[in-house]
Amino acid sequence: MNGTLEGLGMEFKEVVGRRRSIRYFLPWRPVERDKVQTILEAARLASRAGNADFARAIVVDRDDLAQDDLKSLTLPVNAGMIQMAPIHIYWWGDLKAFARDMPPRAKEQVDIGVLNISHGWTHKFINEVAYPQVVQAFSSDDVLCAKVTGCESGIAISQALLAAVDEGLGTMLCTYPEEPARQVFGVPDHWTALWVQFVGYPAESWEAGGQRPRPPLGELFHEGRYGKPFRGTEGAAARLRAEKMIQDPAPLPWRKEEVRAVSRMLGLPEE
Amino acid sequence: MAADIENTQTVQSWLAGLEDQSGVSREEGLQRLAILTEFCTLVEKEPDQIIDECLREVEGGKKIRAKGRRLYAAKISEFEQRVEGGAGEKRQKGNYIRSFLIHNGVLLQTSPLL
Repeated sequence: MNGTLEGLGMEFKEVVGRRRSIRYFLPWRPVERDKVQTILEAARLASRAGNADFARAIVVDRDDLAQDDLKSLTLPVNAGMIQMAPIHIYWWGDLKAFARDMPPRAKEQVDIGVLNISHGWTHKFINEVAYPQVVQAFSSDDVLCAKVTGCESGIAISQALLAAVDEGLGTMLCTYPEEPARQVFGVPDHWTALWVQFVGYPAESWEAGGQRPRPPLGELFHEGRYGKPFRGTEGAAARLRAEKMIQDPAPLPWRKEEVRAVSRMLGLPEE
Repeated sequence: MAADIENTQTVQSWLAGLEDQSGVSREEGLQRLAILTEFCTLVEKEPDQIIDECLREVEGGKKIRAKGRRLYAAKISEFEQRVEGGAGEKRQKGNYIRSFLIHNGVLLQTSPLL
């Protein structure tokens, strides 16, 4: 994955390795529109079930928001970032996406050779079997609908995060208040609030203290059945370190001093 | 009054948090009590009362009282405007009060000072 403009020309693994939540942004440095477009394109091109439009977004330039609107979108947990980050991407999930989009998109994919006879796909199957089942399932099972919408949107959001990192930007996800956001942005009722992605140039170093602690691979992932940890090899781990997917873990030794200095620069509580 | 509030539970929590998490010595922490006292005078509340108004006991822990937190976030901003000093000094004094709330479990953020 290579960036454009001021992108850093990183390989995919390094982009994954460098991604971490950035919580301090340079409030005065705008983000180039091309970079915002790149982030949205990465989301648009993400994998998605039924090729349906689950992930939706409202992109906002912080300085274009009316003060009252900015205030209504502010929560105690986002109050710092909402003011610091020049670009906000309010991510929503379209709860009607699958039922609405799957049938025509599936037929389109049959026509263009994506879904094929070899795998059992025909217009007849879509019209007479898949469509009624999909509509019925999604209109009668709110949990299923929320689960699929959240998962599919999350895939797109994840690519948006990686694209921001690839463009040399800082980014993070945070919560936002749904009802006030509905009022401010006028979104359809069937959109559900997910996350706001803050985007800007980092005021902290890109390391942001180091790669976040994660349990070992085998604790999270299983092989064959639950309880049998997936076992990686030291050789593969060494290669991933060399390729910068696995990086120095937090805390880096100078992190506390960095946080204090950045907080002081921005007038945030230091201690 | 600084001496009066030093032994309150929430001030002790603050001083301990400053020392443990931020490496601020007890002596340095104590120097901030005058600012907290000034704030307490403005809002006419004791430190423990302030925290009580921002948190309530629930099963298994504490829960934020949104109304109280909102009130004190606004009071801190007001305090910041009223105290003496330049913009940076005013903000720092306000941040001492924010730090008092934060170290007592009241998550609070503020906008950057530009």
